Amino acid sequence: MSIFSYQHFPVYAIMVLFLGAFLIAAIGRKAPVRHCLAVLASGASLAFMIALIQPVMLGGEIIAYWMGNRVPAGGYAIGIALEVDALGLFFGLVVTLALFASVIYSIRYMAHDDNQEQYYILLLVLIGGVLGLILSGDMFNMYIMVEIMTISAVALTAFRHKVFGALEAAFKYMVVGGIGSTCILAGVIILYAQAHTLNFAQLAALIPGNLNTATKVAFALLFIGFSTKAFIVPFHPLAADAHGAAPASISLLISGVLTKSGVYGLIRLTYVLFQTMNLGTMQFWLVFIGSVSMFVCVTMALAQHDFKRLLAFHSISQIGYVLSAVGLCTAMGISSGLYHAMNHTLFKGLLFLAAGAVLHETGTTDLDKLGGLSKKMPHTTVLFLIGAASISGIPPFNGFASKWMVYQATYMKAVESGNIGFLLVTIIALVTSTLTLASFVKVTQSVFFGQLPKEYENVKEVPFGMRLAMGILALLCVLTGLFPGLVTTYLTEPATRAVFNAGGYINAMMGSGYAESVMGANAPAAQAVNFAEVGVWSPISWLCILMIALLAICIVALSSKYDRVSENQGAKVEGKYDLFFGGERSVYSQVGGDDLFWGFKHNWRHYFGFMHELHSGVVNDYALWAVVALALALLYAMIVL
Amino acid sequence: MSLVMDAIKYLVYILVFPGFLFCFLSGLLLCGIDRKIVARMQKRVGPPVLQPFYDFFKLCGKETIVPAAASRTTFLLAPLVGLAALVVIQLFIPVFNFSAFSGVADIIVILYLLLIPALSIIMGGAASGSPYAGVGLSREMVTIISVELPLVLVLLAVGKVVGNAMGTGLCFSLTQIVAWQAEHGSLIATPSMIVAAIAMLMVIPGETGNHPFDAAEAETEICEGMLAEYSGAPLGVYKLSHAVKMLTMTSLFVALFLGGIGGGIDRMLLSWGLTGGAAGVIAVLIGIVVLFVLCAIITIISISLIHAATARLRIEQIFKYYWTVVTGLAVISLVLAWYGM
Amino acid sequence: MITFNYLASFFLIVLGIYTIVVKYNLVKTVIGMCIMDYGVNLLIISVGFNPGGTAPIFTEGELTAASYFVDPIPQALTLTSIVIGACVTAMTLALVIKLEESYETLDTREIRRLRG
Repeated sequence: MSIFSYQHFPVYAIMVLFLGAFLIAAIGRKAPVRHCLAVLASGASLAFMIALIQPVMLGGEIIAYWMGNRVPAGGYAIGIALEVDALGLFFGLVVTLALFASVIYSIRYMAHDDNQEQYYILLLVLIGGVLGLILSGDMFNMYIMVEIMTISAVALTAFRHKVFGALEAAFKYMVVGGIGSTCILAGVIILYAQAHTLNFAQLAALIPGNLNTATKVAFALLFIGFSTKAFIVPFHPLAADAHGAAPASISLLISGVLTKSGVYGLIRLTYVLFQTMNLGTMQFWLVFIGSVSMFVCVTMALAQHDFKRLLAFHSISQIGYVLSAVGLCTAMGISSGLYHAMNHTLFKGLLFLAAGAVLHETGTTDLDKLGGLSKKMPHTTVLFLIGAASISGIPPFNGFASKWMVYQATYMKAVESGNIGFLLVTIIALVTSTLTLASFVKVTQSVFFGQLPKEYENVKEVPFGMRLAMGILALLCVLTGLFPGLVTTYLTEPATRAVFNAGGYINAMMGSGYAESVMGANAPAAQAVNFAEVGVWSPISWLCILMIALLAICIVALSSKYDRVSENQGAKVEGKYDLFFGGERSVYSQVGGDDLFWGFKHNWRHYFGFMHELHSGVVNDYALWAVVALALALLYAMIVL
Repeated sequence: MSLVMDAIKYLVYILVFPGFLFCFLSGLLLCGIDRKIVARMQKRVGPPVLQPFYDFFKLCGKETIVPAAASRTTFLLAPLVGLAALVVIQLFIPVFNFSAFSGVADIIVILYLLLIPALSIIMGGAASGSPYAGVGLSREMVTIISVELPLVLVLLAVGKVVGNAMGTGLCFSLTQIVAWQAEHGSLIATPSMIVAAIAMLMVIPGETGNHPFDAAEAETEICEGMLAEYSGAPLGVYKLSHAVKMLTMTSLFVALFLGGIGGGIDRMLLSWGLTGGAAGVIAVLIGIVVLFVLCAIITIISISLIHAATARLRIEQIFKYYWTVVTGLAVISLVLAWYGM
Repeated sequence: MITFNYLASFFLIVLGIYTIVVKYNLVKTVIGMCIMDYGVNLLIISVGFNPGGTAPIFTEGELTAASYFVDPIPQALTLTSIVIGACVTAMTLALVIKLEESYETLDTREIRRLRG
């Protein structure tokens, strides 16, 4: 096997990141060297992932890579393995892409910070950890990568430790994240005690047929462990704190990448390792958690008045969509969930970077203090609007394409199973989408439109490097929205097949026929996945809207007096171009973010008051939530599994 | 060659019927009828039925003032995007036997496209920088949230009833819903759909922002809210959008609940011995007239009557009303539909 | 004998969680995390224990089918886990120092600027 063979690419993709981190530590004193190394490392990692699309996504190959070529002997996998199937590669692509955007953005965004070497080292190590987790085929390695990821994410959250609440957020993240990591470790060990192997594929062959009390406990522990990494309810306060306090380029990664690693872990755990997804209760559980996350977090977001904290709650709300869709256990559900997961990374990354741009120029993200920035930062405004439209699911952007599939998937599931509960999920998803729109209207009004406060008169547009990173993400938002057919064919459908192909996953690593010999008749065959019903939104209506809009603009521009009107020119009448104030002298009167949607909040004041009390900010409470969740998970596993 | 023909066909769809021209004429006419009826109910003479047309052309001739504090591009583009979105929705709504587009799940597309006009007025208002617009957009958004839930429930109920009947479990295609009705009679005859239709009638004035659900544009307290800074042609476009939205919502109602009339037209033509291409054209022409009459009737029932009889609600009352009364009706209809009634 | 190990590790884990949930002092929270880690470490090492087994140290040729030894893998895992635990503790304590500097308190009930 030549060293240039694609079989090696997974390990290269991880190695270049850690190597880049090491080199930055060694020779990265000078800024240009440092930036070059970071861009090269992240770019190379992305390139390796893209190069794998051909064999893995299109060719359907599952790459099993044994470190030091220590292949299994005597039916026992002793060596450490990487295994890349379409599902892993899908997440790998998302992760490395987000890293690349983040690095480009960081170059200018972090230019005024101290200790930039440490920043880039931690950044690369963080993503190295996530990529390692996603591509790993070994449970203990997964745990180590989780820890690498968590520790570097905590360090990066507290990186700007002078920022309001950064240390606090990092500490809470560390404590509750630590509980999650410990759960994963304990789960891994219990599985080892039962099966005497750490290899994921071998465990997947041995465990499902031999469920006993110990493995059920392990399942609950792993489930809670990965849930903390995905920040789903009840772990969402951590996400809100950490996203809000970290630098924007890190918020992108925490929201776009860390949550995805948790979702990946949950999918692997339920679909491949325990193969429990054919249980109706398991589906119900995932969908229930997803719906609760979706709704609770979107209402929490409505009550926020900090830009990034609001985005953070939305992040978890979108993860709720992903989890609900994935929990349906239908081809369409998984396909739409994965699609939405990818879109979430793109648009939420874009939004966080826009928030970072605002912070970079004005020094605050408080919605009550900002206003009217669109005149000063026109490009950022347009990019933000693309992101906002995407997350709210406005056609033709990508959020619409994937949400549309989520609605269809949940409704189809309701019809197929005859369970009216799944219909409720469709309704919750649709309402959540509207509430998402509402809170982005709030952000748009409070930050980019409205009146410009005096102190921001001298604000300028952000440097090109930052706009470039946002531009890449915005372009991808539009492209993945306009060509949903391509995305489903080349990315999500192979990944969905991989989800349903636990047998193939086992055999690729342990040798052909292993799954059948160990599991006998219960061996999970690669299920035929029917994509016929996977409807893809055809963006023809968008093309029409575009055409009509162009026509309308032409007609109106020709017929009206637009061209003769320009601001302040020929303003003979005093006050002609001032705002209308009912005849009074104009004063600064921006409607603050808190006051918007009063009519909605008033009716729900008890709910909002209750939620405000509940999110007390005391780390003990959050730890208690984690323990309660763990207890419930254990109870569930004991009763149902 | 066929590509050119297709392009011309779609251009005609977009520009003439059921696109711009049709929307323009019938929307403003509906608006005029509404104003006249309301005036008569209030014992006023009222404006001529063609008054909205005069208003529109007059506004287009006026100077457009862009406030110094506004974001120019967004301020000027927002009204056009909203109008364009409405025209696109109109393309998706079948007129009895005729539909310009037929999507697999165009109901959800329509649901989302319906957000865009409201969003455009919100964006335009936000871009104007006026504090009145700030208050107005806040109320507009709450109105959207209020209306969205019952609307979604009603659409799901309709999809379920037709899907049940067709044996596919659900149907999200408006074209199929109308086609099914043409064959089996209008949905309004089903018990669950009567409830859904009542809920839909209540949704229409909220969605169009008509009295008493016009807190967002309350001219007496917040100076028309988001429109406070608009003048000239953009204001005219907003007024037009409002009129077209009335047409859109009422014709959506017709498509959802009264689609059986299309079958009636067909049978009538057949009994006259008309077949072939000519019959199709005549059917469409009759369909347009019938559609307009039905739209006018629904406008009178759901918009004018309520307008004349009630005073404006406060925004939190609007929210409460929609999420309790109307949502309750919609839930009842959905549950009935689920159990096959 | 080995059951006692499991009970002890379970006790340690629960004690650690209890400390995290109930104690309002930051340092005690860190101690709780440590205790929880030790509990898991004890669990790992107990898993690999074979009564009467020898240390798993062999040179080439010494290993036969009759060799009876304790499972070496959990020992390696424990080492790794201990190292990671030390990192986590160091990291958390560093955060505690910084927190004390900026909030001038160690009470978690007062470190709640981010809430709601």
